[in-house]
Amino acid sequence: MRRILFVVQKEFRQIRRTRAYFALIFVAPFIQLLIMGSALTTEVKNVPMAVVDDDRSPLSREIVRAAAATASFDFLGAAASEKDATAMLDDGRARIAVLVPPHFERDVKDLRTPEVQILVDGVDGNSAGVALGYATAMLAQVQTRWAQSMAPPSPDQGAGTITMVPRMWYNANLDSKLNFVPGLVGILLVIVTTFLTAINLVREKEIGTLEQIMVTPLKGLQLIIGKIIPFTILGFAQLTIGLLAAGLVFGIWMKGSLLLLYFLTLVFCFSTLGLGIFVSTLAKTQQQAMFIAWFFMIFAMLLSGFFVPIENMPAGVRYLTYLNPLRYFILILREVYLKGTEFRFLWKEAAMMGAIGAVALVSATIRFQKRLK
Amino acid sequence: MSEADSEGYAVQVSDLSRRFGDFIAVDRVSFGVPRGEIFGFLGANGAGKTTTIRMLCGLLMPSSGSGTVAGYDVIRDYEKIKLRIGYMSQKFSLYEDLTARENMEFYGGIYGLRPAGIRRRIGELLDSLEMGEQADKLVAGLPMGWKQRVALGAALIHDPEIVFLDEPTSGVDPASRRNFWLLIYRLADRGKTVFVTTHYMDEAEYCGRVSIMKSGRIAAIENPQRLKELHGASSMQEVFIKVLSEAEKG
Amino acid sequence: MNRILLSIFRKEITHILRDPQSLVMVLLMPLLMLFLYGYAITLDMKGIDTAIIDESRTPESRALARRLSTTNFFRIRARDLPLGGIEDLFKSRTARCVLVIPSDYAIRLMARGGAEVELIIDASDPNAAEFVDNYFGQVVAGQNASLAGGGRLLFSVSPRVFYNPDMRSADFFVPGLIAVILILISTLLTSIAIVREKESGTMEQILVSPIRPGQMILGKVLPYTAIGFVAGVLILTVGSLWFHVPIKGSLLLVLAMMLIYTISGISLGILVSTIAKTQAVAMLAAVTLTILPIIMMSGFIFPVSSMPKVFQWVSAAIPATYFLQIIRGIVLKGSTVLDLYRQAGILVGMDLLLIAASVRSFRARLE
Repeated sequence: MRRILFVVQKEFRQIRRTRAYFALIFVAPFIQLLIMGSALTTEVKNVPMAVVDDDRSPLSREIVRAAAATASFDFLGAAASEKDATAMLDDGRARIAVLVPPHFERDVKDLRTPEVQILVDGVDGNSAGVALGYATAMLAQVQTRWAQSMAPPSPDQGAGTITMVPRMWYNANLDSKLNFVPGLVGILLVIVTTFLTAINLVREKEIGTLEQIMVTPLKGLQLIIGKIIPFTILGFAQLTIGLLAAGLVFGIWMKGSLLLLYFLTLVFCFSTLGLGIFVSTLAKTQQQAMFIAWFFMIFAMLLSGFFVPIENMPAGVRYLTYLNPLRYFILILREVYLKGTEFRFLWKEAAMMGAIGAVALVSATIRFQKRLK
Repeated sequence: MSEADSEGYAVQVSDLSRRFGDFIAVDRVSFGVPRGEIFGFLGANGAGKTTTIRMLCGLLMPSSGSGTVAGYDVIRDYEKIKLRIGYMSQKFSLYEDLTARENMEFYGGIYGLRPAGIRRRIGELLDSLEMGEQADKLVAGLPMGWKQRVALGAALIHDPEIVFLDEPTSGVDPASRRNFWLLIYRLADRGKTVFVTTHYMDEAEYCGRVSIMKSGRIAAIENPQRLKELHGASSMQEVFIKVLSEAEKG
Repeated sequence: MNRILLSIFRKEITHILRDPQSLVMVLLMPLLMLFLYGYAITLDMKGIDTAIIDESRTPESRALARRLSTTNFFRIRARDLPLGGIEDLFKSRTARCVLVIPSDYAIRLMARGGAEVELIIDASDPNAAEFVDNYFGQVVAGQNASLAGGGRLLFSVSPRVFYNPDMRSADFFVPGLIAVILILISTLLTSIAIVREKESGTMEQILVSPIRPGQMILGKVLPYTAIGFVAGVLILTVGSLWFHVPIKGSLLLVLAMMLIYTISGISLGILVSTIAKTQAVAMLAAVTLTILPIIMMSGFIFPVSSMPKVFQWVSAAIPATYFLQIIRGIVLKGSTVLDLYRQAGILVGMDLLLIAASVRSFRARLE
């Protein structure tokens, strides 16, 4: 309707006049995308590690060599004693240490199964677990090698080893960027769309223009749609920049259908903008609106599967994520971008986002009374 | 107050009331404003003027009573009223980050005018409001007197038959106030009904009739000249004080 | 001078109390985050959806398949589908990886060279793919060890986890959460509070009075410092009482550090407020400058040591990075000032820098 277009025109004029928006909506996110896309990785690398060798036998030295050779570790060298190793963990110089006990080689050869201890800094449980896994694997490899050399395989035992050949589909180099960049694009989009719409309506309430609009024949729904359209367009612009950045800077180009991506982004914007406007109808001041939006946004980010896989979350929390549009969008970004997934596998996600958006918009329209009771 | 028929009346209310919890903001107010009249709504702050206007404009639901504006029922057909009225709020309700012209374009558009019609109306309004030079300046940079005119322009963009002006001259310098009233006269000359609230007593003299509100009730409603005669006062200020003190006793 | 400060302080408090909903949200949100993230959320993966294509169908291959299905790591979703169906399997997210055991598996196993199995992994999430690779490697290593050594270990390996023996995520996240919340609240609230006065025009009013700008800012900023602080203490309290996160070091030191850190957030908020003209812009700027850098780059979730060196420099410019080290150190390791003086010193330095910058910017804007 023509009236909606006038609302759109006004919004755009206002947006254009705010210079800061350009920096905040395009430039800053772009820079953040570049930095975080390049920096973020959940790989555990360069873990500072020390070895305490209380045996100093050929066997124990093999363990030291194996430790030094493991790429994931930043081998610091030998620590003089367990006390030293503990001190290194205490002040953070090392995060993991392997202790080879005295008489190690003798005990191994006498089949007395000596104990090798791994000291690990457990503060960051996740990295610790992974580092522990690497150390354990390293020791297991050493063990297998020795077992084979010590007890030659008999023909009937079938003791050839199994070698696993991993084939990484869609991301041969296990590039973290392919994981994070689509997710970051989604997160940046959420920030912009949710915040800006959340304060938009409240702002009009505060300065009094909303009352002026309520006195006109313009319907609530028309106003809301008129406000959503400009921000959707901004969202698209941001998405496009994100896609270009991903391609030009990171070399990650879209594998799937561009049209599908834009369509699903439309649905996503529909849901976040709807939620933003709904928030706007709840709040009495801009500050309130901002808080609610902020609240929602942090949760959207934390519960989106970006940081922590959703499968790992406890059941109750997992149900909460169903209400989070970002969760679907990040999944969609990954799927369409990296795997080229078609719509028929993604319709459920699209439907959920659409439903969330519809409910939000309907609620906003209902709440937006043109006449107070 | 006598019950007159609604023909010829732009605004007519009967026992209109509005309660907020225990507080009665507007208490059984009745009056009729014939077409083309400049009707002044006087009263101290908090007397119930703005609440009454908001009920008439379809912004607030009356708690009880009835009324019509432009022939439409205030309670049932409030949306239909909106097409026929213009409203200018105390806050001026303008977008500071848009120009005068852009503000009027926006409101014209949402009133459903076609672009050509909007352009024409803006041209007319800029002329009659003598705002030509200020048209493309940001509202934020305009002094109060000009903002006031832009707000009036926005309220008139769709050429409504009734205009509600809520304290349109507060905070504006005396010269601009006088000029503004000249504009109001011009509106009345063209047959529009103007419903004005103000707490400037001298402006009351410009009105065809005024009503004085106190604590949600109408204490007096009459032509300013007559009021002065009735109370033996030489100025509306005196009338006001006398009426209010009587209302206190009564 | 103190009386003026007090009156501004009181006015700000009145504003805050008049908006109880916001206050509740500000304090409630950290708690909610705490509960969500405190409950055993790990980055480890469990129950990885897997498919097995066993082209060998021998006792040996079935032994491997059985080992796979009996671990907690993998959950078998599909068996023996045609190779062409893998693409759809991945796209429909039914499985994340497919183990392909070739037809000559048993025969090759007998020979010296050994047998090869293929694990096709959906690496669109390379993080998860890494885990899958890792876990599967452990399964294979286990199978190898049992085949080779006849089941007997040459030496045992026992891990000893320091500071956080159960490697609970709560212990890791709670300090991190404090860091995130403190900055979020202090920067955001401060910038909005100041810009609000600018927007409503009351700022001019105040500046025209005999108040010195410094007094006005201080008076405005103190209530929000207090709120942020309270939020931080709340998290710490709930974290230790409910989640049993230990506080091994000095509580006083923790509080002192929290204060120093909050100041950095507030100075940033003031800086933002001098540049922003409207609340909308202030808010967006505050959010842009704080949320992503702190959550992503400070070591809150993603380890800084894993980042390329260039970006570790970026982390080094974020106050939160140091605060996280400090608070994790004190709370979980019982570190003292002696252990942490470097980080503490840098944090104080950053505070001074930010305060100086914001004061300068404020003065510049006044002209």
